[in-house]
Amino acid sequence: MPILSTNSLSLEINGQQILKEVSFSIEKGEIVGLIGPNGSGKTTLFNVLSGFLKHTDGKIDFEETDISEVSAPKRAQMGIGRVFQNFGIFREMTLEENVLVALESLPKEKRGEINNLKEKTKETLEFIGLANRAKEKASSLSGGQMRLLEIGRTLASGKELFLLDEPTAGVSPKMTNDVSSLIRELKDDGKTVMIIEHDLPFIAQICDRVFVLDVGSIVLEGDPQSVQHDVRLKEIYFGADPTN
Amino acid sequence: MQLIFNALIAGSLAALIAGGLSLVYGTLGVFNMALGQMVLFGGYITWFLHIQMEIPLLMSICGGALFGALLAWFTFEVFVNPFYKRHRFLPLVTTIALSMILDGLILIIFKSSPKGILQGLKNSVEIFGAIISTEQIALIAFTILILCSFAYVLHSTSIGRKIRAVVQHPQAAMSLGIRSPQLHRLIFISSGVLASFGGIFIGIDQNLSPVLGFPITIKAYAAIIAGGRGHFWGAIICAYLIALIEQLVVGIPLLPGGNYIPAGYQHSVALFFIIVFLIFKPTGLFCSRLRTA
Repeated sequence: MPILSTNSLSLEINGQQILKEVSFSIEKGEIVGLIGPNGSGKTTLFNVLSGFLKHTDGKIDFEETDISEVSAPKRAQMGIGRVFQNFGIFREMTLEENVLVALESLPKEKRGEINNLKEKTKETLEFIGLANRAKEKASSLSGGQMRLLEIGRTLASGKELFLLDEPTAGVSPKMTNDVSSLIRELKDDGKTVMIIEHDLPFIAQICDRVFVLDVGSIVLEGDPQSVQHDVRLKEIYFGADPTN
Repeated sequence: MQLIFNALIAGSLAALIAGGLSLVYGTLGVFNMALGQMVLFGGYITWFLHIQMEIPLLMSICGGALFGALLAWFTFEVFVNPFYKRHRFLPLVTTIALSMILDGLILIIFKSSPKGILQGLKNSVEIFGAIISTEQIALIAFTILILCSFAYVLHSTSIGRKIRAVVQHPQAAMSLGIRSPQLHRLIFISSGVLASFGGIFIGIDQNLSPVLGFPITIKAYAAIIAGGRGHFWGAIICAYLIALIEQLVVGIPLLPGGNYIPAGYQHSVALFFIIVFLIFKPTGLFCSRLRTA
């Protein structure tokens, strides 16, 4: 049974079709990559899935519930987590506060399952290797550490589906490995991950399946290797070869 | 020393108003141009309850603050909430309209003559050579108490952490399940209560007058622009700084021949702050970078 599925999802803004009948489904525990040229609608699709943008047509199901009319905070409380391209951390808050506020924002029944919020915060920071900087402001972290904090915070708040928007953007090659390991640990933990990325080797290394989005439509789908070697991928990014 | 005490008094008033406003601007990104009138209404209602209705001062102050909360709630629901999601500059226009309506109501209901909440001579004491009234000491202490309470809520409670999260990254806050719209309402109402306290402060320290609304609004915005968008403490520190410079500009002989700059130019300090910071340091003193939504 898919954890997330969309059916003919479309979005029109000011007469312009941004998403065109996007249909896909993701199984629980999968890591799915979403690639495509700039302006193809990847982040817009994430914004629609997170509830920041309201689609104009179609349907979104999360854990067999239609969430088309559900607000962004409610979707988050249902278990959809989001990691932002421009770092969605609270820079003027300490690392400890960044995690604590995520736990405090859980719905009552989920919060009740955590015995001690401070203890859980400490465990989370230990898990991502930043426990020794708990009292420091998040603005003092490097790009990679910010990304670890953001993913760790989302994990601590019990999300089931992770929408990661370019998790390696602004991250050093060494920290990219740490981010990659953390994403694998999410999968081992039974979580579902959808990743927007421009780094194709990273996608090939980590994803079970890849969707290619172009001009608002899914034009290619398959395992990373077959998509990477598909001649249409080159055409999508660089245009058709005029000598052919 | 007298100038410093004067700055402390004027700064406390500005800090009360600017502190709440910085949270509103930080979370909603909107300008509330009716802020000065909300300040005045808080003071006038307290004056009405205490002087006209002869209700004890403390209860009248509570009445003024309650009215401020209701007025802010009404303003949010009618003049801000339906507009700010369409475009964040729309409330700029709607609240200018509201400020005109409130200005008219103040003139009709309370007339243009100055109104003081406390009548009769005030007791003064001398501290380090400066003359300060006991009421002013109480007002400074009250401001510090209010700001400390706000600081406690912002930094040591769950609701405070959520407010700071919404100020710093609204989308990330929503993606954690924080319901920003409810917090926006709460913050707007809180800023209305602080604005009312500002009006009560004016009514106790000086006299309430309908012409005070606009300079108050400008000074509060100067403090939040200089402090940095949404930076609560930045706004408060800058409110005191602007007040100090205002006092120094007209309190020491800066013109040739030992002449003083006329007191009317005091209000231009806030405008000067706005211009200088928007050109040279748009992030403000206490924010390292402009926030991108």
